[in-house]
Amino acid sequence: MGKKRKHSETAAALTDEKKEESAAERPKRTLLGWKDKVDEEKETDSFVGFRNKEKVLVTCSRRINFRYRHLMLNVVSLLPHCKKDNKVESKDSKGATLNELVELKSCSSCLFFECRKGRDLYLWMAKCPNGPSVKFLVNAVHTMEELKLTGNHLKCSRPILTFSTHFDKDSHWKLLKEMIIQIFGTPKDQRKSKPYHDHVFVFSILDDHIWFRNYQISCPHSGAQKIDRADLEKMTLVEVGPRFCLNPIKIFGGSFGGPTLYENPFYVSPNQIRALGKRQKAGKYAKKVKAKTRRKMHELENPLQVDELAHMWNE
Amino acid sequence: MLKESDISGLGMENPDDEVVDSEPESEEDEDLKLAEPSKNAITNRDGLLDKLGDISWPDNVDWIHKLSVDVDREQEVDVNDDLTRELAFYTQALEGARQAFVELQSRGLPFLRPSDYYAEMVKSDTHMEKVKGRLLAEKRKIQESEERRKARENKKIAKEVQARKLKEKAKQKKEEIESVKKWRKQRQHRGFKDGDKDAELDFSFEDGKAFQRSNKKQPGVASGDRSGGKAGKGGGWGKKKGPDKNKKNREFRNSKFGYGGRKGLKKQNTSETASDTRGFNGNFSGNKRKR
Repeated sequence: MGKKRKHSETAAALTDEKKEESAAERPKRTLLGWKDKVDEEKETDSFVGFRNKEKVLVTCSRRINFRYRHLMLNVVSLLPHCKKDNKVESKDSKGATLNELVELKSCSSCLFFECRKGRDLYLWMAKCPNGPSVKFLVNAVHTMEELKLTGNHLKCSRPILTFSTHFDKDSHWKLLKEMIIQIFGTPKDQRKSKPYHDHVFVFSILDDHIWFRNYQISCPHSGAQKIDRADLEKMTLVEVGPRFCLNPIKIFGGSFGGPTLYENPFYVSPNQIRALGKRQKAGKYAKKVKAKTRRKMHELENPLQVDELAHMWNE
Repeated sequence: MLKESDISGLGMENPDDEVVDSEPESEEDEDLKLAEPSKNAITNRDGLLDKLGDISWPDNVDWIHKLSVDVDREQEVDVNDDLTRELAFYTQALEGARQAFVELQSRGLPFLRPSDYYAEMVKSDTHMEKVKGRLLAEKRKIQESEERRKARENKKIAKEVQARKLKEKAKQKKEEIESVKKWRKQRQHRGFKDGDKDAELDFSFEDGKAFQRSNKKQPGVASGDRSGGKAGKGGGWGKKKGPDKNKKNREFRNSKFGYGGRKGLKKQNTSETASDTRGFNGNFSGNKRKR
């Protein structure tokens, strides 16, 4: 049996060789059929050899509070190219463990929501193998669940990213813009992504903070994939959420560590702010005592002159 | 003792004052900023641009991969002014979306979602139901408050109108009485004899004004009906405030005295009804006797 098979195989190989020699000009066979040469050329024209294979790991620290967790889940629902992972112990969030985790999940960037003291939310945005990482303080959080945000859009449709021109003003803003484009933009032809565009992200710099908004685009159109100027004029937006505001604290050279490339000179940590408030309140009693003693000293220094009419009615 | 406290007070006070001076007061946003940049902050511009070069995609990458639009904001916006801030974001988004749509259209790519394309949305249907419910509730609230306001105004106007009417009525009555008095005086003056002919001329109320029956027809009253439309309605002797009241009255009476059928058994007292004193006003008999 074996012998026979061997024989047939060799025979087949021989015939194959012959065939290849004879029909060298035949087009290549692909999974979908015969590939034409013309087609190939076309593809090389449009396809520059670039394919966005971004994958984002989204995770958070332990003891995150519900509001911030919901924010994280909202972000997960907005990014079809992300992987959500289990909570990470805060102590382990320094450097190596997270890098390992990202590598393990074969992701190229990471969003790490770190909650401290149950009330301050920090967001780490990192490009993973060796890219830069940024630490933000997150303020003014509104989640998608809030009922006043009435919009809705397709899940996994690719967002249009809009940036205010302030992003081109300084080098660190430029870097942040590039990172945001890579992390928040859904890669083209991502497997889950839909071919339509019905929402727009806003990244705007105001007061040295990056403000994020997400709007649904509602545009009147008549079925066909064509819109004219009037339709564009009639276009309205409805906010979908979430909302948040990122205050950049530091930009590091490596992912989750490395040399500091930028430090926000205006940054005051929330701890300091709280301490300040406490100290302001604490001075109350001391102030009162001080005022009292000052009054006493003042009275001692300038005693009242005895009124000459004071005894008039006593007589 | 005094001095000691004084010193300690000063000691506690001074640093506090300094801190307050150096910080702008914008605590409601939980977002304090240093007034001037701290000196030891690092900004490594070359490093940043290096990194940017490292991570950025090749220059010739098609726009369709990025989908990013830069929008210029015309004027600076105050952060603490919520309305203008949100408006600035909205205009940025709108402008960006328009540019992007034009770009997409020029590429001939599909970008508008067909109306028959259904897919999973970011927010679930139950959530959208809630959103809708809230919107409707808000609308209803506004409507109700508006209605209440209108009713209040109407009431005010009605009150005024009523007062005016009463005044007019009183005035008319006074005039009529005056005229009668006048006529009597005149008659007395003439000595009742020859007055009959002359007096007739002076009857100011005989010019058809005072006794003129109003031509307005009461609704639901036949032209020959002299009872004022009350004939048809059952027992409306007490307070007559319209057909509604009468109807209620009738119903009550029907329930009390019976309507149709045999009444005999219903009207008989039983032990329960005999001991029931609800129908009695406690002190009426005593009062009457005292008087």
